[in-house]
This record gives sequence, structure tokens and C-alpha cells, in this order.
Amino acid sequence: MSKLPGSDEPFLQLRGIHKRFGGVHALRGVDLTIRTGEAYHLLGENGCGKSTAIKIISGAYEPSDGEIVLDGRSRRALTPLMAMEAGIETVYQDLSLLPNLTVEENVALGEQLVGGKGRLLRGLDRRRLVETARRALTEVGLDPTPALMRTKVADLPLAIRQRVAIARAIACEARLVIMDEPTTSLTRHEVETLIEVVGRLRAQNVAVLFVTHKLEECYRIGGQAIVFRDGQSVAQAPIDSFSRSRLAELMTGRPIEAQRYRRAAPQPEILFRARGLSAGRHFEDVDITLRRGEILGITGLSDSGRNELSLALAGHLPLTAGELTIAGEKVRIARPADAIALGIGYVPEDRLSEGLFLEKSIYANETPLILDRIAGFLGLLDDRKGRAEARRISAEMQLNTDDIDLPVGALSGGNQQRVLIGRWLSIEPKLLILHGPTVGVDVGSKDTIYRAIQAMSERGIGLIIVSDDLPELLQNCDRIAVMNGGRIVDELRAEGADEDRLYQTMVASERDAAE
Amino acid sequence: MTTLHDDMDLKTAASQAAPARRPAATDLLQRRPELASLFLLVAICIAVAVVNPAFLQASSLVDMGRASVVTGLFALGVFAILAAGGIDVSFTAIAALTMYSLTLMVLTVAPWMPMSLILVLSIVSGAILGAINGLLVYGLGVPSLIVTIGTQYLFRGILLAFIGTVWLMELPPQMVAFGKASLFDFETANGAIITLPVYFLVFPAAAILTWLLFQRTLMGRAIFATGGNAEVAARLGYDQRLVHVFVFAYAGALAGLAGIVHVSANRMANPFDLVGSEIPVIAAVVLGGARITGGTGSVFGTVVGVLLITVVNNVLVLVGIPSTWQRVVVGSFILLAAAFFVTRQRQFHSESIK
Repeated sequence: MSKLPGSDEPFLQLRGIHKRFGGVHALRGVDLTIRTGEAYHLLGENGCGKSTAIKIISGAYEPSDGEIVLDGRSRRALTPLMAMEAGIETVYQDLSLLPNLTVEENVALGEQLVGGKGRLLRGLDRRRLVETARRALTEVGLDPTPALMRTKVADLPLAIRQRVAIARAIACEARLVIMDEPTTSLTRHEVETLIEVVGRLRAQNVAVLFVTHKLEECYRIGGQAIVFRDGQSVAQAPIDSFSRSRLAELMTGRPIEAQRYRRAAPQPEILFRARGLSAGRHFEDVDITLRRGEILGITGLSDSGRNELSLALAGHLPLTAGELTIAGEKVRIARPADAIALGIGYVPEDRLSEGLFLEKSIYANETPLILDRIAGFLGLLDDRKGRAEARRISAEMQLNTDDIDLPVGALSGGNQQRVLIGRWLSIEPKLLILHGPTVGVDVGSKDTIYRAIQAMSERGIGLIIVSDDLPELLQNCDRIAVMNGGRIVDELRAEGADEDRLYQTMVASERDAAE
Repeated sequence: MTTLHDDMDLKTAASQAAPARRPAATDLLQRRPELASLFLLVAICIAVAVVNPAFLQASSLVDMGRASVVTGLFALGVFAILAAGGIDVSFTAIAALTMYSLTLMVLTVAPWMPMSLILVLSIVSGAILGAINGLLVYGLGVPSLIVTIGTQYLFRGILLAFIGTVWLMELPPQMVAFGKASLFDFETANGAIITLPVYFLVFPAAAILTWLLFQRTLMGRAIFATGGNAEVAARLGYDQRLVHVFVFAYAGALAGLAGIVHVSANRMANPFDLVGSEIPVIAAVVLGGARITGGTGSVFGTVVGVLLITVVNNVLVLVGIPSTWQRVVVGSFILLAAAFFVTRQRQFHSESIK
């Protein structure tokens, strides 16, 4: 089945693939071509069919129509095992690691499974397991010490987990590795490592298919861009032949310019002041001043304390020292309920597990903070009033549906995020903390979310955006604070600030702290 | 790859993996929670032996050995199912249905049947009943607790409605012989003969088999993978239907075998027996370090859990604690174990935040 290197035949082709789920026509004629040794970037807005296409390639879904040509053989559909035997491996966004198994088992069990055609009632070759795991871990730049190999995946930091997931993908002679939003939860230096690993894979004639929203990284990696829109593939060509705005336009079908969203200026009155905030070993001696209508960006590497700071301000993590004042008045925040009572809202980064009731309706997700307002006679909830509120919030947040009874789990990432922001808007917060507001959100939804953020600031709400998406902070904030080693090490005006300098500050200061 | 960041990542990984930073004992307990139960077991044995040396006599040890067999077989099956992320409460009904029907069959139509064939039949019919559980859990996509509550009623109903409600006081001779066959004889101080029966070996044999299954076969890893995250396991190509059917059939087979051992040891077959004794078995497995949420646990831990429950059930009388207090003691142990596991997890989470 192996083709001569340099043979011109593509490894995999999708031709005219359609996929229908009941009445939903998710893919409407998708074509794409993948050759080994090349990098591909599958781009498109949420809901454009990217994930469906990946699942068809990895054998999880059967196409409703069309042809898959794998290694020169035409097939109607693939099964997960067929795809794996052909060397197609997927690193899903959730990494698909088994938390209760060890690193070596996660990396190398698949090889034995595929080798035995999926039969389970077979002996387990421990020695081969260890050998395979050691080889694959080395290839992704991890040192396969016995301690690491026998660690359970649940006990690993995220960045290592991701490399373990890639090691698993390449453990059984992969020829195509699909990575579904691999950099979403990585800090910048972790992304650099990932890019290095990808280079190594390509050098070994493995194809890599990225699914991502981060255009900057696509340009850095290079290769081919495949653009999807509304379930159709609209372009496939070398990524350097497209400008950023051209790509955005192809994805959304409308022109989007990368402008600075921030137009308004903060009001003079000081809304929120923090002095000498500390929380254990997470962060110490942090000072923050925020005016009404001001937008402050906080960035830093994932271990810089920025996450814990935002949690502490929302009452999710106890402060060990420091003083908070809101509109000149001294306050105490010990629990989330204190923060809410003071008008401090917190939109978590992981909206799926920390923010939303996925199986509940948009209505139920938008109104939990204003139950007292929609309560009527004897404290019973007034459904009509509640629905009116939910409709108002949905309209304000420009959701792409009018149906407030739709479960939130059925919405795209961008719409889910808007539901969550809308929930906090319902209590007219004084201060809103947004943690990674556009993580996993597509270009079009980002635009809507940024506009919503600006609109909130114009209403006098103070906003803190915690993010490692530097362009996002530069486009939206008045000031940006860089955290490192639990301290704010730099603070600068966002307008005209230099992205490279910000990044250097983040990394350089980390080096200082490490010494 | 030698950048600074990489080195730091590796250090973080290594320090989380290696015990160097934490006291060795804490770290060991984190990885092997069943050692806490083992410690408890040893402590109780020592304490009881000091208060009442009769505990260490052959007679009471043999009693406990005998008592542990049926619980142990059940527990190994429950452990396998918990490891796959499920739960089973029908195993006692499987045991009761198998033991009673088989005994009745041998008595009425097949008195010629050798004991080895009876044992094989008990294993096969238990496995078939268990496989029904597995197919239902997989096919209906319903939590296994609900399915096995249903099949517990079903299996027991079939037994009592169609097969019989009469106690069988006269067992077939080959089963009586199996129950009596002696592995060791001890003579006590007052001249009585204490027998450690051959069937005692069934428990260690089943434990070794289960250990081999989990450590040496791909199926064992597939079971843990399913318990860790079923959706991911399916995505990675582990045949979920096979895993479900296998693990429930395995538990069913052990339950069927336990049923026949139970009958042979007690020298009568009571159709109302066994059902209702699920909770102590599940308690034993949980005390052995298996989390009720699945994907964890070990055969060694399960054996420790079984011994702990057996000892508690048998020795409290020896030190003058009324047997009604057994429940209080077992209940406290379980709550202690639960609290221990929870703090363990919280510690882990607070460390992984940074």
C-alpha cells in the first residue's frame, strides 16, 4: 500500500462529499486533496462543516454522498479502524487522552489495537508498548524517563498532555495527523514547541491538517489553506497566496478589516481599585485601577498568575492580602455571591464546563441572575416576564436564532459566548471580567463579541479582559498589564503598543523569575 | 529540543511524576489508595489479636477464609465492571438463579453429572446472564445501575416464579463432596478437626485470573480505557459493545461460580438466598480503592477490601462488640475512605491549577 516517495498521487482526496443529519445539510459538496509531507490549514467559521469533514476523514461519520479516495482506492466511507490502519490519526481538541491510564499506555496502546485489527482478547505486549512509547515521545521532544512514562495523564500539565496526544498520533506510523484547534489552550511558547514538532513530522513525510481559528499561526507554519464556508469548500491554495483579509472574507463571505475596535475613552471617575492583592503562591502585591468604561487587558503566560487573579476578583479563589474598593467604598469578596452582589461579573474561559448549562435552553441560561426580577406573585417565576427578558438579551447580543427554547449546547461557540455575556449584562454589572472571551470562536463571531465589549464599555461598565490573544487585547483595550511570576511586571497603553515588545516582556520576565 | 521552556515543561512533568517533592508515604497513598485499607486491615487484626488471642487460632482463620470465597468472587466481578465505568447490582440474582436451577437440574434430571461439569455449567450460564446485562447496557445506552436493578428483579422473578421456591435440603452427592473436600486439616487444642476446604482455592485462582486479564491482555486496558472515558475509548477504536458484553459476562461467570460454591458450602440451596447482599460486596470493592465513577482500582485492592469486610464481619464478635455494630463500623470505614479519596483529589486539583 505504500506509494513511492515523490509519486504524484495524493494520499487522500474527498470528492463531492455531502453529509446530512436529519434535515440539516452539514456538508454540501466538499472537495479536498491531501499529500504526505505537506501542512494544511482547514479554515472556516464555526458551523461551516470543518468538524464534520474531519470526522468523515477519521471514519467517525459516514458521508451521505460522495467519494473518498485513500491511497488510490476509492471508498464510500471509512471506519475508525480503517482510517487508523491507513495512518490517519486525529488529535482532537479535547486531546482524547484517557486520564486514568499512564503516558506509555496512552501513547502506544493504539498501535497494538490496530496491529490486531481491533481484536481485544489478545495478550498485551508490554515490552513493545514501552519501546513504541519511548520512540514516539522522543519524536515529539519529550524525554521518555520511566517517571514520565508511568505517570497517569490526569497528573500532567496541559502542554505536556498535548504533546503526549501528538505522540500517540504518530506512534503507529502516521501518514496524516489531524489537529483540531491544537493551540487554543496553549500559551505562546507552547505554540512554538508545537510548530517545531510539526516541522519534524513534515520532514518525515507526514501530512498535518490543522483546524484552527488562529490565522497568525497558519502563516507561520505555512502550507496550504483549505477554506470552508456553509458546508462547502470554497478554496484550496498555498496560504501565502492569500492576504489575511482575503482569508477572512472567504470564510465569512463578507469583508472584515482588522481594525482597532476601541473608539471610546474611559470616563474620569475611578470605578475599581485594588491595592496589594495576594493569593498564596498564585500572585502577590497586585495593584489595579480601573475607571468607569475603561477596558483593561491582562496577559501573561498560563502560569503567570493571570488566571488566578481573575478567579480571585470574582470570588472563586480566596485572597490572602490586599484591599479592594468599588466607587470609593471598601469591599470584601470572599465568595462568588459577594462579587455578584457588588456587580462584578465573571465570564470563565471554559464556558462549556464552568459557565453554561448546556442541556438547558437559551432562556434558562440567560436569566439565572435575574430570577428576583422576573419573580411575580408569591415569588413564583413569571414565565412571560422571563421570556421577554431572555428575548431582549438575545436581541442585544445578536444571537443567530430567535428560538429562546433551543438548548445552548446546540449553539456555535460564538453564540454560546454571547449567551454567557448576555447573562451578566442582565444584572447591569459595574465590572465584568472576561476570561479568554474568544477562545475557540470564529472570525465572524469574534467581530460581534468585540462590538458587544465596546458597547458595554460605552455604557460605563468597567471591563477586564484576561487573554493571551495579544491582537485581541491590542484591538480592544485602553491599557494592557503583563503579568509574570505572580506580579504585574509591565503596564502600557494599548494604542500603538508593539505586539513583539509585549511578548518579549512576557517571556523575558519569565526567564528572570525562573532564575 | 533544548529551549528553556522545554526544560521547564519537562521539569514540571517530572516533578509531578516523581515522589521527590512530597513525603514518600503520602505519595504512595496517592497512587495506591488500597494501602490505606491494607493498613486498616492489619491494624484491626493486631488489635483484635491482642484483645482476644483466639482470633489467631486456625478455627477462626479458616472460618474467615471460607467466608471470603463467595464475597471475593462477587467482588472481583464488581471490580471489573467498576473499572469499565459501570455498576452491577444483579450479580446476586445471577448467582441465585444459576445455583438453584443447576442444583435442581442435577437432582432431577442429571444426577450423573460430574462436579467439574457442574462448575463449568455454572460459569457458562452466569456468563450468559451477564452478557444479557452487557447487551442491554450497550444497546439501550441506559446507565448500568438502572439496567441491573431491572435484571435483578427479572432474574429473581424468573427463579421464584418458574423454577421453584422450595429449599433443597438434600444436595446431589457430588456437590456435597465438593463442599467437604479438604485442602488442609487442623486439629484444635480441644481435639476438634478444622477443615480448610478445597473450594477456598477458587478465590485466589479467580483473583490471579482477573489480575492476568487486567495486566496482560488488551481487553484489560480496554476496560480501563472505557472506564476512564467511554466516548474517547470508542473514538480510539476500542469496541465498546465487546467491552460491555465481556465485562458483564465476566462478572456473571464469577457470580454463577460463586452461586455453586455457596450451595456446596452450605449444603442446601435456598432460592431466597444471596439477593440483598450486594451492598457489602460493592463496599468491599470501594474500600479496595476503586472509585465508583470508574476507571480505577486493582485486583490487589479488591482482595484487601474483601478481607477487610470479612474480618470486620467476623471478628467484632470475638472482641465483644455486638454483631449489630458491624454495620456501624463498615459504614464508618466507607465514609472515611470516601473522605480520604475526595481530599486526595482536591489536593491534586489545587496543585494542577498552577
